[in-house]
Amino acid sequence: MDMKWKLTIPFLLLLLLCLPATAYAHGAKIDYTVNMTIDIVAKYDTGEPMGGAQVVVYAPDDPSNPWLTGVCDDEGRYSFTPDTSKPGNWSIQVRQSGHGDIVHIHIGEDTAVTGGGGYSVLQIVVMAVCGIWGFIGTALYFSRRRA
Amino acid sequence: MHIPDGFLPAGVCAAGYAVTAASTWYSIRKINQKENFREDIPKASLLTAAFFVVSWIHIPVPPASVHLVLNGLLGAMLGYFAFPAILIGLFFQAVMFQHGGLTTLGVNAVIMGLPVILSYYIFRLRKVWRKDSRLTTGIFGFLAGFVGIAVSVVLFVVILLTNIPADIDVKTEQAAIYALALAHVPLIAIEGVFTALVTVFLQRVRPRLLEAV
Repeated sequence: MDMKWKLTIPFLLLLLLCLPATAYAHGAKIDYTVNMTIDIVAKYDTGEPMGGAQVVVYAPDDPSNPWLTGVCDDEGRYSFTPDTSKPGNWSIQVRQSGHGDIVHIHIGEDTAVTGGGGYSVLQIVVMAVCGIWGFIGTALYFSRRRA
Repeated sequence: MHIPDGFLPAGVCAAGYAVTAASTWYSIRKINQKENFREDIPKASLLTAAFFVVSWIHIPVPPASVHLVLNGLLGAMLGYFAFPAILIGLFFQAVMFQHGGLTTLGVNAVIMGLPVILSYYIFRLRKVWRKDSRLTTGIFGFLAGFVGIAVSVVLFVVILLTNIPADIDVKTEQAAIYALALAHVPLIAIEGVFTALVTVFLQRVRPRLLEAV
């Protein structure tokens, strides 16, 4: 009996050691590749989306030939995955019937997460008022009475 | 109808600037020939302000929306002052609101500015008919406003159609340009009526403002 236990215990210990090994065999492996997708939303300054507008993407190494072309969806959205091996300024042009804009996105270590153009309503109002005041001032200057 | 930077080849932009320079020179020469031209500067300045902000007043024309241009009105009321006024207005629109661009300023001035000289000639024709008739002023005011914006739309469409880059789908862009031109048809009528109303109103309350032209 004693002899039997002496044989059994090391065997059980050995089995315990084997259990984690078995668990390792069921481990998971994750391979990953980072794909940076650029999502753009193109709208007219009225807030109306540029649905169906054409998108032309230029890579930094060849600013004259398009790297990718596409079309915005009905909500003016377009997504693409740039080639991260080409760091620099990527240019994205959105165009519809001669209207549109060009945005330059820097791809590299210091890539901005979001960005965009356009002004807030307040900024537009302030600029418009300043502009109008300039014209009114000119009018007042030239309509002053001669001394 | 403002073409932004980067949408036209450099040659077209340069040609636009050349035509704009020649038109500005001609307008200023004509203004210089007038006696007391300084008296018209306040009126020109205020109408430039109107032109400057009016591009924010959008009129929904489904599926697009268009904005008033007022170039016919400027032509009718300002005469040779109208082209420099539009050039200045476009410059501030480009710098402040990014409506149009600085490289395309010349082309945009040609699109919106050249027809104003035509509008001026049309409005001046009213003097051939009976003077001081409200109906005559209304009719020629309408024609000035109508022709001013109509010629602008035609110039805009022709310049865009002849300069579609090969990078994009040409047929889609052509269809979009035609759709935009079609959306401007109601605007052409609105500008005509608006110019007629303003000129008739001014003839009633302050005819002197129309006399300079």
